[in-house]
Amino acid sequence: MSFFFGRTRTRTNAADLPKQARDHVTKLEGPQGAAKAEELAKVLSQMKLALQGTHESEASPEQVLQLITGIIEEDLLYLLAVHLHRLPFESRKDTQVIFSYVFRFRPPTGPQKPEPFALAWVVEKRPQVLIELCRGYDHKESATPAGTVLREVLKNEAAAAVILYDDGDEPGSSARGIGGINQDRPQSGNGVFWSFFEWIDKSSFEVAADAFTTFREILTKHKELVPKYLAVNFDLFFSRYNTILVQSNSYVTKRQSIKLLGEILLDRSNYNVMTAYVDRGEHLKICMNLLRDDRKMVQYEGFHVFKVFVANPHKSVPVQKILLMNREKLLHFLSHFLEDRTDDEQFIDEREFLIKQIRNMPAQPVVPGSHHGR
Amino acid sequence: MADEGVANHYQVLEELGRGSFGVVYKAIEKRTGETVAIKHIDLESSDDDIQEIQQEISVLSTCASSYVTQYKASFLRGHKLWIVMEYLGGGSCLDLLKPGIFPEVHIAIICRELLLGLEYLHNEGKIHRDIKAANVLLSEAGRVKLADFGVAAQLTHMKSQRNTFVGTPFWMAPEVIQQAGYDFKADIWSLGITAIEFALGEPPHAQIHPMKVLFQIPKNPPPRLEGKFSKEFKDFVAQCLVKNPDHRPSAKDLLKHRFIRSAGKVEALQELIYRKQVFDAKADRVKLPVYYQETLHTISTKDEADEWVFDTIKSVAPKKGTVKSRKPSATIHAVEEAMHKLDVKDGPLQPTTPGTVRRSTVRRQPSTGARRNSIRNASSSNANGSPRRASISAKRPLQPDTSFGNSGSTMRLFRRVPSDSSSSSRPSTSSECSFSNENRPPSAYQAPVEPHSKEAFLGRRLYTKALEPCLDELHAQTAGAAKREALSRLSDALAHLDAVDPEGTYHILRSIVSTVSQDAKLSKAFLPEQSRTSQSKTPSNSTPHSTVLLNKPHLASAPALAPAAPTSPSPSKLVLATDNPPLESQRRRPEGNATTDNPLGIVSRSPEKEPLRERADRERAARDLEKMALEAKFPGRPAVPGMEHCKALSDLLYARWTDGLRARWGAVAGS
Repeated sequence: MSFFFGRTRTRTNAADLPKQARDHVTKLEGPQGAAKAEELAKVLSQMKLALQGTHESEASPEQVLQLITGIIEEDLLYLLAVHLHRLPFESRKDTQVIFSYVFRFRPPTGPQKPEPFALAWVVEKRPQVLIELCRGYDHKESATPAGTVLREVLKNEAAAAVILYDDGDEPGSSARGIGGINQDRPQSGNGVFWSFFEWIDKSSFEVAADAFTTFREILTKHKELVPKYLAVNFDLFFSRYNTILVQSNSYVTKRQSIKLLGEILLDRSNYNVMTAYVDRGEHLKICMNLLRDDRKMVQYEGFHVFKVFVANPHKSVPVQKILLMNREKLLHFLSHFLEDRTDDEQFIDEREFLIKQIRNMPAQPVVPGSHHGR
Repeated sequence: MADEGVANHYQVLEELGRGSFGVVYKAIEKRTGETVAIKHIDLESSDDDIQEIQQEISVLSTCASSYVTQYKASFLRGHKLWIVMEYLGGGSCLDLLKPGIFPEVHIAIICRELLLGLEYLHNEGKIHRDIKAANVLLSEAGRVKLADFGVAAQLTHMKSQRNTFVGTPFWMAPEVIQQAGYDFKADIWSLGITAIEFALGEPPHAQIHPMKVLFQIPKNPPPRLEGKFSKEFKDFVAQCLVKNPDHRPSAKDLLKHRFIRSAGKVEALQELIYRKQVFDAKADRVKLPVYYQETLHTISTKDEADEWVFDTIKSVAPKKGTVKSRKPSATIHAVEEAMHKLDVKDGPLQPTTPGTVRRSTVRRQPSTGARRNSIRNASSSNANGSPRRASISAKRPLQPDTSFGNSGSTMRLFRRVPSDSSSSSRPSTSSECSFSNENRPPSAYQAPVEPHSKEAFLGRRLYTKALEPCLDELHAQTAGAAKREALSRLSDALAHLDAVDPEGTYHILRSIVSTVSQDAKLSKAFLPEQSRTSQSKTPSNSTPHSTVLLNKPHLASAPALAPAAPTSPSPSKLVLATDNPPLESQRRRPEGNATTDNPLGIVSRSPEKEPLRERADRERAARDLEKMALEAKFPGRPAVPGMEHCKALSDLLYARWTDGLRARWGAVAGS
């Protein structure tokens, strides 16, 4: 690769790189696709080196700024995201590096904006870049590089909002930038966020696992954005979550999504979501069936959701009814539940606690609020 | 994740070895006829590793280098993950060291190839973090490849650093141990240690306990290669082992070193492979191949799932409600009885069908019946069944030569050693490990004796739950080849004894414990505090299971906590420190607050490592507790004594709830 390096040394063509890349990338699907891919690979590799520097020499901030400006002007981020799966193996990795440098870069001078300016630009003016990165999960080739970029970007709340509130041309969708979002309008369920359910459930292991990691990141990182989102879209979200993810045929999807459900419910910021969730008898039924799954790690993860229902001092009447109807069974069942876990003291304590709770329930359902919490 | 069918694309052949957390099989991809290696990872046997495994796959799948084992595919099959890799017939360098140390010429070649591999990885922003002979594989042609990316890291930024404490102690760079932030240079240090391993057969400090090594490496001057080696080789090692990473050369720099530049062609390494084959043939060490057997076996739980009663009873009249809820409990008993019967039929260790029993299938039965059975067996009131953990004939002996294995357990964020010994994923270890049993060396042992006496039951349990996992652990931590050999012999011997005379195992430990307890110094060192106190209460050896524990019900609820408690005298602590895995896992749920206070997160809790006497007492206590719990379910009973400890937890949970409620629903709660 040293001859590429030699060329970037001239430092004159850094500004031309985005333009060249654009020319090549738009012709990838044409008759000369293979040749174009090769040329594009060279350009991307040079671009990467220009951005990250080498072990020996640092990239100069002015140079980088110039390059990134060019990338934005040519709309190259969008084009690369769309065509990511068509790029050759090494170019996909180079593209990932380019994205991550571009999104992380803060200009050395000028007003100190809290956000790296390229990411701010994308969030405000070109949200489709993020949407297309998500669509990287449509293809095995692009899933890992797109996912890696996404997870870095999703640390930014605005970026997460763009993905959550993407809803095509609907009013209040993020399609026209972060400013156009209407948080109070329920989602149609056709936006890119909702595609994650399918990617996680239907894709091959590698893609599904990566998509799940990103999905988890979206739902756990932002303590104001997500509770609000879940409150507004409660029914849609949990009905999909429970039918597609928790009931998935894939062991990994099932186990990880039960665990994530527990994490979501037990997060302080999701308190209202949790109370609404554990009020529903339907949710409890799903959860009790998980306790009887034939795989013990599924049982174990299910337990950590089940305990939330039982520990609730203000159980709804439907929940109380289900627990009371099954009281004897539950007591018996729990006293032998996952007894192999002799070393897991916390689990043992919690199991004992649940047994005690269920045993001490009044014989008939009590309307919550009519008695005082202990 | 819809890829169940992909497994059919491969014809799985014999077992190649056991890696850090899975069994590796040789296989043929049917479409191409290409030989591949497939790693099977049982995801059920690990608490929290899915994301880490995923990380490994993502690092591997973005590597394309002839110096790195080529990743091909991965997919799920039930709860097993199959990872398809290129097949490397030469085996690992650790195996190739069995016949003896490597000649210097060969070491130079291997080191050059490793440097090329590291140069590639480091350019890609990846750190391997676990370079050692066990993770260096050779192809039949002698090509050298880096393997096992279980703890590798992907850096997103050229200059970024890592702090995570991973690797294998003997090979760890000082800056990794000190967690002061490290980068690519950590791999160079490990390479230097690995070079010494090639030259001497084991890494420096191999005779020291891995825990102690963690203190030695940063403190001591760097190890040096001494003896009859060339000046160049010695200098190469010294260059790798510069303590300050800033002054340590990079892979690129080291490729210019004289020792490396004068290295020969990789084909010469075929001599090492040939030497190993001759060695195996001479020593008559040719093992019978262990063939893959399909073990995906799940009992449908559809019927069971219907056990919960969800019929909505429109108006629940209180009296009727209770009557109704009693009815189904009759069905539950029926189902349970059915499960019992099923269990007895399918139970492991039925003398008639010892060859086909696979414990893993039993383990996955969620049936409460199965579990109850085991309890009854433990109390030996049910002589029909057999203890669940007792399928010994299926045991593989500890292999001193696991071709894909790690010598010395690799630390992965402290978590690869599962916190739960019962769902251990330690390779080739505990009988809980499903893969220990799914492939058995054909008639390597005679069918195990069915334990019939109480002593035999305990003996078998002692072997499967305590002796065998301990030996495995120790074996995994031991680096010296001779020591490993000795340990594996001991393990074989114990396995044999257990197979023919589990009662013998019982008596051995019984008499060891009683002898030790009679020697003041020994008992102080080896017997935890309260087993001695309880002993003084029950001096008679003929009644070892007397009723000590009813007055101490907390013991059952907090097994093995007491010996590790900070108040316990230092001798017992010392014992635990030496026979514990170097770093036990961290607790999984962060809400568990009272756990890892000690430095390095070492949590001592390994019931299998307690003296038998204590175990027996605990089991009894557990049984008593269970009985009490059952009795307590009768209406009108006060809370059982053993349950007070739940109070704290319940208070905690309540506090959180009521806080939230008060904040948000203050008006409602008040009304």
